[in-house]
Amino acid sequence: MTYCFYICVCLCLVIFQTTIIPHISLFNNFYDLLVPFIIYLGLFRPARESILFILVLGFLMDNLSGAPFGLYVTTYFWLFIIAKLVIRYLHVRNNILLLFIIAAGVLMENIIFIAGVSMSNPDSQFPAITIRTVIFQILWAGCTGFFFLIFFNHVHKKLEKWFNELIAEKANIMK
Amino acid sequence: MVMIVCAVVLIVVNIIILSVNSSRYSSYGSGRIAIFFIAPFQETVAQSVQFLKNIWGHYFFLVSVAKENDNLKKAINHAIDKNNKYREIEISNFRLRNLLNFRKTMTNRVLVAKVIGQDPSPWFKTIIIDKGKSDGIEKGLPVVVPEGIAGQVIDISYNYSKVLLIIDQNSAVDVLVQRTRDRGLVKGQSDGRCLANYVLRKHDIKVGDTVISSGLDGVFPKGLRVGYISEIVKRNSGIFQEVTVTPYIDFEKLEEVLVILDPPKHDFVSEQ
Repeated sequence: MTYCFYICVCLCLVIFQTTIIPHISLFNNFYDLLVPFIIYLGLFRPARESILFILVLGFLMDNLSGAPFGLYVTTYFWLFIIAKLVIRYLHVRNNILLLFIIAAGVLMENIIFIAGVSMSNPDSQFPAITIRTVIFQILWAGCTGFFFLIFFNHVHKKLEKWFNELIAEKANIMK
Repeated sequence: MVMIVCAVVLIVVNIIILSVNSSRYSSYGSGRIAIFFIAPFQETVAQSVQFLKNIWGHYFFLVSVAKENDNLKKAINHAIDKNNKYREIEISNFRLRNLLNFRKTMTNRVLVAKVIGQDPSPWFKTIIIDKGKSDGIEKGLPVVVPEGIAGQVIDISYNYSKVLLIIDQNSAVDVLVQRTRDRGLVKGQSDGRCLANYVLRKHDIKVGDTVISSGLDGVFPKGLRVGYISEIVKRNSGIFQEVTVTPYIDFEKLEEVLVILDPPKHDFVSEQ
């Protein structure tokens, strides 16, 4: 059930971000919608349940994107690890802190991407528009990322509750 | 007998009076009195009837009007939707005609493909098209549009392909300045423009010059438009000048592309 939920959410997010968002000029500098999901997995879900899924997701995104292969896997893996470390040492389940953690995740993704691009093209230049893109992404993440986190958590909990009730009901019928 | 005679006389007199009265109108004042007493009642009743009629017409009857209104709204929405579809078809028709005209001018075998997705990251510029291995697409084939070169196929699946756009930082096209025939290598930049590398300082190029493919990269056919020179920077030192090339294509609005199935092939090994 959990994996079904993960697959559905990720499919929706990937399709939304590759086919719908590019057509909306308002979201020209929107951040990677999978970042809040990775952070959600890092903050709220056990590692052994999520780690394989994150690697598969990174692999999928690497295939969809023109990024050097492995860049998304790397980014998502480290985002997840850092989210896990943050939850262990900083106890950031506070709602206000959650606002910042998504923005920090988006910043981290951009830093890894810039490093990736610089490594593959040592002579590449990053004009002022690059900084603007990063700033816009962070602002968007700060404004909307929290709601994604809450949404994922709420829907997942509801689904789990519904599924457990369904199993209990079936077990009672069997008795 | 007397009764019959009286009746006949009465009828005759009556007819005479009627014929005399019908030639001119006279009410002898009694009409005014009748109107004075009757008219107020008539008015009240008439107003009441009108009031009831209004209530019926504007409130009870409105149930059917509301239904009719709903139906009309639906019809309008349907018409707007249809109009939008026709408009979209018209625009699409114009675009495809343009593509078809361009296709006719090309000597190479080409395949029209639709753009179905864009890169999830703003750092990399790739698109996904709806044609793949099953349609004869191979890795490395050039992708063009009427405005110029779009990119190159870098990955293929059975039904879909990934195209690296010329504005991606990993992309490079060997080019010529159309007017002066000076060579350079156009590479993508992160701001959606391109940089022409290895253009010698001594070359007399100007802002606005058109840049075309040289065909020497072995990927793109010669003579296809790449963009125009939008900025030239000549530093005090160095043998090259920094040339910024802005592509003619608006990559944000790319919807259909042409994949060249038989690009010119150079057998560099045998030539050596």
